[in-house]
Amino acid sequence: MPTVILLDVSLSMSRPVQLSDGTETTRKQLAINGIEAFLDHLSVHSKLEFIALMAFSSLYEERCPFTRDYNVIKSELKHIDDYDKTSIETALHGVSQMVLGEWGNNTACQIVLVTDGSTGIGSMSLKESLATITQRNNGLTAFPLPFPFPATLHVVCIAGANEPNIIKSKPLYQKLIDLTGYEGSIHIPDNLQSEANITTMLQKLADDMYTSFRGVLKCGHLESKILLSPAPVAFTKVTDFNNKTYNISDLIEVRGFISVPDVGSPMTISRHLILPASGTQKQDSNPNDIDLTDDNSAVEDASTPSFCVLLHGALKVENMAALVTVGENWFGFVYSWADSKKKSNLMMTILTPGSDVIPWLGDLNDLGTGDMFSVDMVGSFPIKPSEKRSYSQNGVVWIRQAGLQSDIQKILRHARKLPDKTQQFYKELNRLRKAAISLGFQELLTGLSCIFEQECMQLPGNAHPDCALQLHHAADLLRKSHNRDIKFTLTPLQTNYTSS
Amino acid sequence: MIEMFPANHKTVFVLDHTPYFGISCESPIEFEFLKGRTPSFIPMAPISKTLWTLSVESAIEYCRIVWDLFPTGKLVRFFASDTVAHILNTWSTTQQSLSHIMNGCALIGVPPAPPPLRATPPPDYTVLHGLRAAIEGLCEPTEYQVDKCKVDGGQVINRCRVICITSARDNESMNRLEEIFLTVLNQQNKIAIGNENLLPINHCHLVIINTFPINIESSVNNHSPRHLSPLLTTEVHSIKAPQIPTKLSSLILEHYDLASTTVTGIPMKEEQNASSSANYDVEIFHASSTHTSILKGNPLDSAAIRTIKEGLEYETVTLKWCTPRGVTGNELQNCTAMHRITPVDVNSRPSLCLINFLLNGRSVMLEMPRKSGGKITSHLLAAHGGEIFIHTLCTARSVLEDPPSISEGCGGRVTDYRIPDFGLLIKQTTLLPVKPGKIAGDQLRPLDRVRERLNRLTKYWPLTISSTLIFNLKQYIDPLPGLVVKEKLTEDQVFVCKKIIFNLIALESKMEPLHPQNVGQRMKGQKREEQYKAMWNELETFLKNNLHSENHKLIHQCLLECHKFNFETDKSGEKVDLDEALTQLESVEEVSQRVSVIRATTDSPLSPPPLANITPSFSRQNSYKHTTSGNSQKSLYEIFANVPQKGKSRPEFAGRQGDNLVTKLYGNLKMEDRGPRTDTAMEVS
Repeated sequence: MPTVILLDVSLSMSRPVQLSDGTETTRKQLAINGIEAFLDHLSVHSKLEFIALMAFSSLYEERCPFTRDYNVIKSELKHIDDYDKTSIETALHGVSQMVLGEWGNNTACQIVLVTDGSTGIGSMSLKESLATITQRNNGLTAFPLPFPFPATLHVVCIAGANEPNIIKSKPLYQKLIDLTGYEGSIHIPDNLQSEANITTMLQKLADDMYTSFRGVLKCGHLESKILLSPAPVAFTKVTDFNNKTYNISDLIEVRGFISVPDVGSPMTISRHLILPASGTQKQDSNPNDIDLTDDNSAVEDASTPSFCVLLHGALKVENMAALVTVGENWFGFVYSWADSKKKSNLMMTILTPGSDVIPWLGDLNDLGTGDMFSVDMVGSFPIKPSEKRSYSQNGVVWIRQAGLQSDIQKILRHARKLPDKTQQFYKELNRLRKAAISLGFQELLTGLSCIFEQECMQLPGNAHPDCALQLHHAADLLRKSHNRDIKFTLTPLQTNYTSS
Repeated sequence: MIEMFPANHKTVFVLDHTPYFGISCESPIEFEFLKGRTPSFIPMAPISKTLWTLSVESAIEYCRIVWDLFPTGKLVRFFASDTVAHILNTWSTTQQSLSHIMNGCALIGVPPAPPPLRATPPPDYTVLHGLRAAIEGLCEPTEYQVDKCKVDGGQVINRCRVICITSARDNESMNRLEEIFLTVLNQQNKIAIGNENLLPINHCHLVIINTFPINIESSVNNHSPRHLSPLLTTEVHSIKAPQIPTKLSSLILEHYDLASTTVTGIPMKEEQNASSSANYDVEIFHASSTHTSILKGNPLDSAAIRTIKEGLEYETVTLKWCTPRGVTGNELQNCTAMHRITPVDVNSRPSLCLINFLLNGRSVMLEMPRKSGGKITSHLLAAHGGEIFIHTLCTARSVLEDPPSISEGCGGRVTDYRIPDFGLLIKQTTLLPVKPGKIAGDQLRPLDRVRERLNRLTKYWPLTISSTLIFNLKQYIDPLPGLVVKEKLTEDQVFVCKKIIFNLIALESKMEPLHPQNVGQRMKGQKREEQYKAMWNELETFLKNNLHSENHKLIHQCLLECHKFNFETDKSGEKVDLDEALTQLESVEEVSQRVSVIRATTDSPLSPPPLANITPSFSRQNSYKHTTSGNSQKSLYEIFANVPQKGKSRPEFAGRQGDNLVTKLYGNLKMEDRGPRTDTAMEVS
């Protein structure tokens, strides 16, 4: 999960702190030491995580873009100056822009706000920001929370637990966390006078933030221990009538198979690599460390058969995807995925919770195998909706003049080819007439009969006699007001020519 | 975040059907095809739509878009008002269709003719009848609201919208209309609170479109949304009648949170000249979240693709058609959002062209240009089951950058997975849609029945070729493996299975070696007896794991009766051979010691020094599993003492053994893989 470290560099961060060993330092320095400890922890345990550094005061500045090279961040931390006052709202806007620009609105991110408990003064203070949150309708930029992407906010305060500032600002931080919609945390050191206290606090935060997902991928009696990277997060589904939070189960169970073209790229809320985990993995080795070649036992693990690898191979060969349940009434697909470098992987996409989330697959709980049910009960993919959409119905829309004009032209084209096109002529005429009656467009019917009469007069000499007769007949019928009934259908005039 | 209980769940159109709406909008329709003809004829009287026609067709167009994009859950009702309210449909989902509305409109017909000036009493033509009926209608719960109340016992917030197309004289009468609406709303809520079949209205959004022919100036002013009460928000749009469709188009985007995309650069054959093609644009509507990812990214990029079309009030995002290469449907795209679309101009030739292209099963990628140069594939248009969707593709960087290949992880070095066999299992559990409802009486949903099948199919399922023998002996045991995993077996199937067992018994008694398919080096070096033993043991394990019915038990029983298993008969130790002894050793000795023991007991004095390791084969472990229980009471010495001289000296040259005319050279090659070939060759020579 990409992480933004948001470091407060306002003037208040340069307040001196008397350490218990007698030396003097600043809050900023303590913060920097803490961040370094945080990064050190990651470089051991979660070295594939992307981290970015942003500094803020009343403005914000991106100091390091997202990187896996934590030393870049560390060296950048050495060149951080002091600026003016704290404006958390501005900084959160910056974070939002930065994450959206890099990861889009679909990647879950974490934000570590490192500050000192003072939330700024004046109109851009956090207190003011939160107080005016509902009054941003006209012209004012909306409050950046909740973020347009899933984000967890962790607030780290380099301040003493009993400082009056902290007591005031803690509820404000909590409000920010609540606004994100995800469970964040607030960290305040027990003892500001100890540097070690702060570094352990941040190490522990790193440990908590990057707990990975360990579970079991099961298919009948076959199973494999797995890791998911990145770890999936709970999802809150809001519909017109419901609001429910779904949690991922640690049992990912294969329920059947569907060919990849039939699955048809549905909307997914997240994608995860499935990494087979060895059964004997030590507890302390961090699961996010997916670079398994570092592991001493890797060679042994690599030659122990794993169901994941079998599943991957078969799915790839058959071009199939496995339908899996990832929670209660919550589904996903497992399939073989190759990035551009031809490295093939087992990938899982997680769908929106619920069993009716892909219209063309129908209710996922109603999927069965072809031989289990009688032929008339089994359908095929894709499932067609009971009603056709307007664009496949050949409906009448005359909002733009061109729509009406082309409908009339079509009738006239048929009219010129009478009697060959008698059926088509009356079919189109009835379609137009029916629509005109529904829309109360009577003038069109009289107008059309005029047009027919003009056509009659302009018929070339070699025209079939039926032409004139049918046009007159149609014009007559259109004029008669008792024919303005929608159930009435105009029928061709029976002529000697047609009957012969 | 999406708000629950949105107003767009319930919309009522109130259409003014009073005599005034029967007048022409005075905007004649041009008929190009009548021009240029011989001018001698009397020109045709110009055709204009009436105010009524314009309001009906605009309202119907509004519904067309809503129901194309939201086939369920977004309900619209139609009320027409003259001396009474004409109710064209109910909230019932069966009446939520264009054809139902069109038929209803045909039945009420055109607005009545104006009454004679001295009619007494003058007929009470007003839109208020419709508005009153609309408020009553909005208190009726929809099926969704009823379900929500019933199932969850949840509180339903009854938000709704009324769109009224009418014509007022001036601002004062418009204000009065709004006030009357509020009064009726309050009255109706009082009634609804006392009636358990009705839902009081929590909030109503009244959108009034005041319209008039183009040759008239209205003295009614627009006003933006105004909170008349906590219950009611009203807004007024005063527009010339031909503008109603445009106005409703921009309102619908707001009401349903939609956005517009213009697909540009669609290559299309010219109607007149089929050999040339020109590029066209098609505008589509869809949920606004389709654009979230591209509009929230780089502000410069998003500014470049957003434009307001001439004569329209809303923005459209222009994305470029990207001629499909190959089949795009054959892989799973990383799709972060997916929404139905509908063309804005449904009957235009470019729209039809795009729609037919998609409905025929092809899909189109849409590209977004970037300011920094280059472009990015941001969306996919595709039809699924006759419905067209826009898929938003992930354009951002992926956290899964540079992932390790599956072959680098656990189990990655194993090369003999039973992939074709798993392919068969996949085919047996490939899912298809089953018509719901017809499964009444059956406890399990179809997908749960598939789970049962998966459980059955995998009761005994070795992952690799080297860990199984029976599944490599398909030519001998098919179709038994396929039958035994079935839920039920017929008498005939039991017979088939038994026959297979009998055949195997016969083969064994004929001393026929089994020829496993697709087996690597390891299995080849097995002796015949050992091979049979491994086969019987594995077959027994397989059958024992699949006792799904009485008939299954019959087959297992049959196997137990036909073949004497070591775990029952070997207690006497009569049939113990060298390999079993070795197996015993394996269990007792450490790996390093084992090697030396084996070498010490089996190698001739001239053998080369021992190899570092010996790979134990599966069959050994397998037979070990079954034999230990029987042999455990004997000491190793006893086993060795009972073993015939076989291993201790060179085997007799087979040619001298007599009965067989055909003699196999290098018979020992068939034994365990003990090391390099020279080793055994030396022994034989």
